[in-house]
Amino acid sequence: MIHVDSLEELLRLVALVAAGISALIIVWYLVRRPPLGRLTKTLLLFGLGIMPGLVALSGNIAGYEYTLKREFCGSCHVMGAYVRDAENPKSKSLAAIHSRNHRFGGDSCYTCHADYQMFGALTTKLNGLKHLYFYVTEYASTGPDGEGGPTIHLYKPFKNDTCMQCHSTGAPRWAGVEEHQSMLEDIRKGEMSCIGCHSEVHPTALAHRPKAQAKAEERKP
Amino acid sequence: MTHLTVRRLTYVSAAATLGALALMVASLVSPKPVLLVFAMSVGQGLGTLSLATFLLAIALDLQSGGAMVDQVEEEVAEIKSAMHLPDEPAPEQSERTRDTTAHE
Repeated sequence: MIHVDSLEELLRLVALVAAGISALIIVWYLVRRPPLGRLTKTLLLFGLGIMPGLVALSGNIAGYEYTLKREFCGSCHVMGAYVRDAENPKSKSLAAIHSRNHRFGGDSCYTCHADYQMFGALTTKLNGLKHLYFYVTEYASTGPDGEGGPTIHLYKPFKNDTCMQCHSTGAPRWAGVEEHQSMLEDIRKGEMSCIGCHSEVHPTALAHRPKAQAKAEERKP
Repeated sequence: MTHLTVRRLTYVSAAATLGALALMVASLVSPKPVLLVFAMSVGQGLGTLSLATFLLAIALDLQSGGAMVDQVEEEVAEIKSAMHLPDEPAPEQSERTRDTTAHE
């Protein structure tokens, strides 16, 4: 019995079934080599056009859905230390605490690192292509967690908007914190960065890279 | 000549589609970053090209007045004559015969 728990799995199943039907039609045509009558042409239109189109469409959406998952981000070895920390139930890092949230924990990398804007998904995926380029050109053969590679850094400063998707800065518990009250406007304008104070985001991961660790030490007051 | 071109184009299109499907299925079964990007670019590009090739083959076939269908009918007729099977009367002919009989 096949269990389909999510849209991604359903789309993947649809794509695989369509690919199977398409392959059957093509193999039948290549092996039997029937004359190109109306029936053969119609079958080939299904096998070469409609079914592969369905595979591409549902496969693309399934692929996109999968790229939102932490499992996907962790499939590049340089992210190993980050993902292990995020998945550690005992870790108190910001990444781990957010990854334990049952609402978006499975997609925690994407939720916190995606651009929060109108075409955010698109710009994030374009940046993903950039990651892939650097991964292939700079981080290949750099040790199990990429220790020998250059320091990993964000392309642009981390915006407060990302945190404010959930932490609206209006909740009484949040507003009750003295530091938040005194810097409320600066936080809302983005002049005071959230991670300026909440800096223990990926501590274990930084410790794996001597260059990165040195920079982190420099930043500490 | 057109008959051969149409056949060749259809075979090329079928083989290219199989390749494109293999790439797309691989990215679904093992969704690794490089494979995903490869399937979404090369795989889908190959699939689109193979569909275009098939449509070109069909256009050529239609332009030649369905020459392939004619050829198949000829081949069937040849096989029938080789097997000494009687030719079926054409529907128009039989109707005409029936009309004549009715008038008589």
